[in-house]
Amino acid sequence: MITVALPKGSLLKDSIAIFKSVGLDFSAFLDPASRQLQITDPTGTAQALLVRAQDVSVYVEYGQAQLGIVGEDVLREKMPKVARLLDLGFGKCRMSIAVSNQSPYQSVLDLPPHSRIASKSVRIAREYFQSIDLPVEIIPLYGSVELGPITGMSEAIVDLVSTGRTLLENGLVEIEVLFESTARLIAHPLSYRVNSDRLNDLVDKLKFTAKY
Amino acid sequence: MVNLTLPAGAKDLLPLDVAQKQWIESRLQTEFRAWGYHCIITPTLEHLGTLTVGGAVKLESVIQVDGSNAEILGLRPELTASIARAYASRIGKINSPQRLYYNDNVFRKLPSSNRQQEFYQSGVELLGGVGLLADAEILLLLAKCLESVNLPHWQMVLGDVGLTTALLNTFPSQYRQKIRQCIADLDRVGLLNLAIPDQLKSQALDLLDLRGQPQQVLDQVLALSWVHNLDAEISYLKSLVELLENNFPTPPVLDLSLLQSCGYYTGIVFEVVSGNYVIAQGGRYDQLLGLYNSQGISHPSIGFCLNLEDLHKVLMPTLPQEIDSSEWLVVAIAHEAIKHTFVYAAELRSKYAVSAEIELEFRDRSAVIAYGRSQGIKQIAWIGASGVIGTEQL
Repeated sequence: MITVALPKGSLLKDSIAIFKSVGLDFSAFLDPASRQLQITDPTGTAQALLVRAQDVSVYVEYGQAQLGIVGEDVLREKMPKVARLLDLGFGKCRMSIAVSNQSPYQSVLDLPPHSRIASKSVRIAREYFQSIDLPVEIIPLYGSVELGPITGMSEAIVDLVSTGRTLLENGLVEIEVLFESTARLIAHPLSYRVNSDRLNDLVDKLKFTAKY
Repeated sequence: MVNLTLPAGAKDLLPLDVAQKQWIESRLQTEFRAWGYHCIITPTLEHLGTLTVGGAVKLESVIQVDGSNAEILGLRPELTASIARAYASRIGKINSPQRLYYNDNVFRKLPSSNRQQEFYQSGVELLGGVGLLADAEILLLLAKCLESVNLPHWQMVLGDVGLTTALLNTFPSQYRQKIRQCIADLDRVGLLNLAIPDQLKSQALDLLDLRGQPQQVLDQVLALSWVHNLDAEISYLKSLVELLENNFPTPPVLDLSLLQSCGYYTGIVFEVVSGNYVIAQGGRYDQLLGLYNSQGISHPSIGFCLNLEDLHKVLMPTLPQEIDSSEWLVVAIAHEAIKHTFVYAAELRSKYAVSAEIELEFRDRSAVIAYGRSQGIKQIAWIGASGVIGTEQL
């Protein structure tokens, strides 16, 4: 049976909708009363795992799920060995650099060498500053990254921005967009190559739905 | 404080692990020898350059070791490079082909430090073997090896670096590397986002999807409007796949995007998949020996290697679950009987070719019997002070 890994959080609703459009109903995950982490579609043809967004690619890379939905930002951060099959278009956001609106640095090029940069996306942040040849100290955080500049711990942050409201409410401004991110359909490479459980039929249906 | 635990990624193989591993290895080696292959042992340590020159192994994945005279050495991450080095200067002067097999440990530095670092591999190299017969011999030998260990479900993914490279060469050279990378990584999204003309993008997407039942895939290649002059390569693959029929439990998947493991590969490449494991992989490498030869002379070659840990995991339910116990327990019932005990145990071993262990502690009768039963021992010989022997079935 095909197993798909679905991300908790902001991508979940759209992820469930796209599988529903190809006949797989995992909407039980949307029931707030449910604590189930593994469910089977009512037709008994596929099962789904509910995992943290950062863990989707892990389940797919190890082959515990043949398909998964994950943001481009997670793929760039974790560089998993998975097949990247479709840009699903939803979950649009951007990876940005932001500073306090009081900051003297209003562009990336203003940041002095050895600035402190707080981020959940350590690899993305490190690689970006390497690419512009600016030595920085990356401070890894797991959440509420906006507090970095607010408390004065860091000069800037590298973080995911969708509407920009969180930044605004915390007195931060974006000074650079590193890349745009949307949700991606990923697959376990071996399962995709050998077409186990007729995986490719499902992928073709999803391709058609996602209009590629 | 001195750390007396195992380093991350290392492990001990206890007697049962070894018994299971040898169960697999002995079957594979019997098969290798039946096809005329001979065992080769190369050193664990090589010059770093020897290991990486072929391009199959990244420098950062080699565990480096300081040699004398400021040489940098590395623990071998695979065997093919070492075997190519050993034979590159020799093979011109001796009869070819050379059929070689190995059963050795290899080492890899892996990004996540808790991952395994030492692995065991068993494989073959057919040096100086060229053409359809050599390719078919290697694939059929691999299938026989898997049959000899009763691997329940497996599927071969077969690619052809030569044909895929020919297809890639129809693209303008400035785009080739990027397209090749996307195809090797199965990165369809990346391919769609490449800044290349739409016509080329759609050709590259065709190439990415050339995968499936071999005849169908070859027909698809022939039907591609942008493909010309590949009739020889296509009919070669067709002949090869025909030779595999009835020898494989399921026909191979022909996958022209299979490039990831190439490095030094120049012709057919293949992986054997069982569940989520790659059990074996290999391919043809016609240029590799030339890298190690002082005149640059190469000999076309092909080989494969089985990943013993993964094979072990997949086969686990069918492997022996207990180590062989001794058949006899020889017990001295008094100090005066010790000498006779060793004599009788020696006689059992040499005359009857059975395994016999000696009771060490002068425990009482019921304790000895309980011990024997718990160990699965079949017979006890009680040796008296005058050398009198009483035997007892358990």
